[in-house]
Amino acid sequence: MNFGKTAIYAALALFLFYAVLILSLLSFFEGKNFLTVLLAPDVLFSIQVSVLAATVAMFLAIAIGLPAAYALSRLNFPGKKVVDTFLELPMIMSPIALGAALLIFFNTRVGSTIQEKGILFVFEFPGIVLAQFATIAGLATRLMKTALDEISPRYEAVARSLGSSAWDAFWKITFPLSLRGLLSAMILCWAKAVGEFGATVTLAGTMAFKTETMPTAIFMALASADIPKTITLILILAGIGLTALYAVRLVEKRPPGR
Amino acid sequence: MITLQNLYLRVGTFRIDNLNLDLQEKQIHVLLGPTGSGKTLVLESIIGLRRFQGGRILIGGKEVQKLPPEKREISYVPQDLALFPHLTVRENLLYGLRAQNKARNGTDSHLNRLIDTLRIGHLLARYPHGLSGGEKQRVALGRALAPAPKLLLLDEPLAALDPALKSEIQQLLLSLHRSLQFTALHVTHDLDEAYLLGDAVTVLIEGKVEQEGRKEEVFLRPHTVPVAQFLGLRNLVPGRVLKIDERERRISVSFWGGEITIPADHAARNLIYGEEVILYLRPEEVLILREGKPIKESLRQNILTGEVVRILDRGTQHWVFFRPLGVDSQLEIHLPNYVFRNLALQEGQKIQVAMRKESFWVIPVLIPKPPAQGNF
Repeated sequence: MNFGKTAIYAALALFLFYAVLILSLLSFFEGKNFLTVLLAPDVLFSIQVSVLAATVAMFLAIAIGLPAAYALSRLNFPGKKVVDTFLELPMIMSPIALGAALLIFFNTRVGSTIQEKGILFVFEFPGIVLAQFATIAGLATRLMKTALDEISPRYEAVARSLGSSAWDAFWKITFPLSLRGLLSAMILCWAKAVGEFGATVTLAGTMAFKTETMPTAIFMALASADIPKTITLILILAGIGLTALYAVRLVEKRPPGR
Repeated sequence: MITLQNLYLRVGTFRIDNLNLDLQEKQIHVLLGPTGSGKTLVLESIIGLRRFQGGRILIGGKEVQKLPPEKREISYVPQDLALFPHLTVRENLLYGLRAQNKARNGTDSHLNRLIDTLRIGHLLARYPHGLSGGEKQRVALGRALAPAPKLLLLDEPLAALDPALKSEIQQLLLSLHRSLQFTALHVTHDLDEAYLLGDAVTVLIEGKVEQEGRKEEVFLRPHTVPVAQFLGLRNLVPGRVLKIDERERRISVSFWGGEITIPADHAARNLIYGEEVILYLRPEEVLILREGKPIKESLRQNILTGEVVRILDRGTQHWVFFRPLGVDSQLEIHLPNYVFRNLALQEGQKIQVAMRKESFWVIPVLIPKPPAQGNF
């Protein structure tokens, strides 16, 4: 068979695989129930919690990940390779294991002190944020590093020779030039945080009107055989994810200065 | 004056040791060397982008090596120009002026003069991606010169240009230099460009300054064998010092089994008896004698008989490869086309060539060790 055609068929097969999964949901979908389920207070609450926690986790991941990404992309320092390798840990580690590690940490002396004298994380809203942050921080740093790698360090070198400080050169040159890549990283990490389940359920549990996020609500609805609620929540989650991915495509489309 | 004193820099196994450079004000100084010779490392050290382990950089007598790049007043044009793609040409030009708080509502006469000289007035509202290669070069030069830096560093910015555009930008750079009289350090591996643009030339090979001086001096009188080889010099013939006549200021050197006497000031340094040397004979200065024509007195001493082995048509000139009788080497002779046509040479033809003793240059093979540095 023609090589090109084989490749295209493979791509189409993958598309069909996911499309069939979504369409199969529709076979149990009842339109009249959709709005009722969507507007139910517990569902609205879980959407609100998910979006809010993911937004906070994403901003935290960006705030720490951006300077870290810059260091990994531009600077040389001892242990750089070790740090770089550790960033991939959340990607290869099961989210439940990550959540369990966090839970165990809060049972250590340091963790207990943080809980007692600082913020309560276990089975609380900050726990959701922390679980999502742990899952996406490495990814955010890696994606932002890739965005920064694409910008030649010579722009900054020229800017500095023209009189800009290192901060100035970053904010006036590298940041705007890598903005599209950084925005893509933000959106992807946010979407991943919204869909995070394993670490969240392990650290924050799934208490209605307290720590129930959309993915944990799906799990609970499925466990109690509430199929309309399960499908509605899955469709909302898929809708959020696909919208985020489409936003990434839009952001990446236009090169800078055009 | 801008001075680099005893610069010492180590990157992995590569080392630049004890590098000294003096850049005269209002001159274009060329740092010439092959790829991997350390030119860019030197340049990055001057800008302040790379830390070096020893030495000093002085601008106008003031040490700057501890200052960050933005405080050094050194502008930099890299090979890829690095025009800021998200800024218009006007914003690119004003970047340095704004960063150094020198912008005066766009009425700066220096900037306007630059814009006129570079002929970029019509490009001000455009973005770099829409500019041609030549326009980008002109904007990059304008951006670097706008803040009137104390030193302009050019890191092979013309390397990727096609020959016609390269020539155009070289001319522009020269006229810009004539009108603005800036001090520049131009890094290149292009010999023609170095000769055309440089007032002074420093040859850097494997992290070591092999020679520096006026361009004519460096190109016509190489001091070391690596410089001669890097410059691609032809007709490098090994020999040995046979006689030194200090009274007459002459030296005799073996030359393909014979002997040739050369003025002592045609050697890179004072030579010693028996020392191994390389004789360099410029291919343009080998004369092909016409049969039946009288030979000048000054040419009679150094005449070789042999045959034309090969002829290469190089477009603007012809290269004739000549093998003397009884010698297993060749001399390369470069002839202008009109001379070649008049001589009507053929491959295999027997000819006689003559060489003036002043056309030779003697390069010692061994480099004397620097005197040991002790504590006093």
